[in-house]
Amino acid sequence: MEFDWNDEQRTFRATVRAFLNDNLPPDWEALAHGPGSSAQSHFSKQFCAALAKAGLLVPHWPAEWGGRDADPWTSFILAEEMWAAGEPRGGQYMNVNWIGPTLMRFGSLEQRQRYIGPMARGETLWCQGFSEPEAGSDLAALRTRAELVDDKYRVNGQKIWTSYAGLADTCFLLARTSEGKGGISIFLLPMDTPGITVRQIPSIIGEGDIHEVFFDDVEVPATAMLGGEGEAWSIVREALALERVGIPRFALATKMLHRAVDTLRKESRFHHSAQVQAARAKAACEAARLGSYSIIDARCNGQIPGPEASLVRFGTVNAERLVSDFVVEHLPEALSGGDPVMLAHHQRAIVAGIASGAAEIQLNLIATELLQLPREPR
Amino acid sequence: MQFTLTDDQAALTGAIDRIAEGFDSIPTEFDGFHLPGEALEQELEAGGYFDISTVPEMGPICAALAVERLARLPCTAEIALSMLVRPQVGDDLPRPFALLENGRPGRFVAGAGTLLVLDGDGIGIAHPAAGDTETVESLYAYPMGRLTGAPDVRPLSAEETAKARNWLRVACAAEMAGLMQAALDATVEHTSVRKQFGRPLGTFQALRHRMAECAVLVAGVRRLALQAAWSGDAGDAALAAFHAQDSASKITYDLHQMFGAMGMTLEMSLHLWTYRMKALSSELGGLGAQAASVANDCFTADNPY
Repeated sequence: MEFDWNDEQRTFRATVRAFLNDNLPPDWEALAHGPGSSAQSHFSKQFCAALAKAGLLVPHWPAEWGGRDADPWTSFILAEEMWAAGEPRGGQYMNVNWIGPTLMRFGSLEQRQRYIGPMARGETLWCQGFSEPEAGSDLAALRTRAELVDDKYRVNGQKIWTSYAGLADTCFLLARTSEGKGGISIFLLPMDTPGITVRQIPSIIGEGDIHEVFFDDVEVPATAMLGGEGEAWSIVREALALERVGIPRFALATKMLHRAVDTLRKESRFHHSAQVQAARAKAACEAARLGSYSIIDARCNGQIPGPEASLVRFGTVNAERLVSDFVVEHLPEALSGGDPVMLAHHQRAIVAGIASGAAEIQLNLIATELLQLPREPR
Repeated sequence: MQFTLTDDQAALTGAIDRIAEGFDSIPTEFDGFHLPGEALEQELEAGGYFDISTVPEMGPICAALAVERLARLPCTAEIALSMLVRPQVGDDLPRPFALLENGRPGRFVAGAGTLLVLDGDGIGIAHPAAGDTETVESLYAYPMGRLTGAPDVRPLSAEETAKARNWLRVACAAEMAGLMQAALDATVEHTSVRKQFGRPLGTFQALRHRMAECAVLVAGVRRLALQAAWSGDAGDAALAAFHAQDSASKITYDLHQMFGAMGMTLEMSLHLWTYRMKALSSELGGLGAQAASVANDCFTADNPY
């Protein structure tokens, strides 16, 4: 057991920090009010292109696709630093984490040649067409249909909560090609295809984050299907296994907690009850950090993360909640014209238990797969 | 960062597992407040396990792993302080070790070879004679005792005091991690078989989610304890002890709730773990004292990593 970084990892982190220092604009903290915002999404295109040129966008990808086969620690250290900095990659973090690797694994030659290069060069933004008004946690209940008409699919339906849809170039779309869980297929759909309408949903979590996407007789060539018909469930399951640890949310949460404590100390307001709350939040952040590392370590040893990943996901939700509560109680001005990064963190933190799947689903997985409790009747 | 055990560490934890298996059951006629573990203590002593922290290939991380594993047993012996604190304050000092905090009754005080006497911010060392201590009846699932005599107390220097306090915190967190795990395991087992409304309690989501939340806390307490044992850092130790004491409160309440009235009986034995957790929750100044140390030691860096 070793709870410290090796020299190579320290050097890599320092390289990433130096890059951020050199490439983020002086007004970045005011700009970074959400990865989906228009300002941040436009900045992200130039930032990701520069990141790619420096070899820091997809280091963990195979050399064949523009990476250098770096280990999972490299991509996680990169992700920690990016998230703690306000995620200047914007929505492109999804490309590097799972969309690119999924296309490498399941895409046709044409799909790989068309999409992976632009992702590796940081030129393209994707959105994830999963949730629907009647299919949230129960994703298998989705209704958006893709019907084969002659040699094309015709897509009709609606997606909701779709992040980055307003500015995305391509959608990783789940649509029903027949009934049942085995009747869902994946389509890689350019967002400028006629028949697609995107509406941003005003929200408390920041500009550009959630949208409705409508599909009205959208014609898609059969070659846009990823994998075979009805293979969505197995592909998505594998794709999301790449995302099991998820975003290193604890990194920004910890940074905000330290910033809040620093402010309170300077104002002589770090009194005893605040210390207890700060300790509680810090412990949750640290537990989430070490838990995440245990998953990365397992991946480095060739193991597939099991239900332990659900412990980490739920622990991260705890950490986000405790830090955002601490800030709201002790530095309430953060939500009304105060520190813009604290505001942005709050907006990220309040969806920690909802984005990428409800936290209660993680509790179900822990109960069934880790604790091995008898299953609930269905 | 590396979470797999070295061959030496794996061999040690394997040996501890084998010892633990021999003490995993509760005698059928048992209905006491604590289950003494003299035979376990003798086996550990004979095997030299109280000194594993001082073996270079092992170190405190192995001692913490052993403490966590052995705390899961229903019986109790003075293990944590001997394995994690004694090597730091003087491995020639006679064991068992015990903590005497502000004159209150403490765990293993009666019969202790060495007392760590906490008085305010200071820590001293005393070796009580046979008549200097007596046992105290207690709800806590440890043998509790108090000091009746007045043995000489040798005050530790400020540096020694800080070191002793660090490792007392590590010992507390490592032991708590094992206790919590065992209490959770017992509750999972109980709710998997106990039926109400025609089905096992463990199929009700209201309880499943609470047990899952307990599992999240237990995993965190264990990781923080092991990190503190690895680093010996004051901030890590305070944070680990804080998280352990803080989580213990929720976990003991939730798990007792799930056992219902059965959990109140001595026969059911849940108290063998939860009433050790309660004893540890108040030690070293309790949550408030750990929080003050976390505030002092864990927020110093501008950038947390």
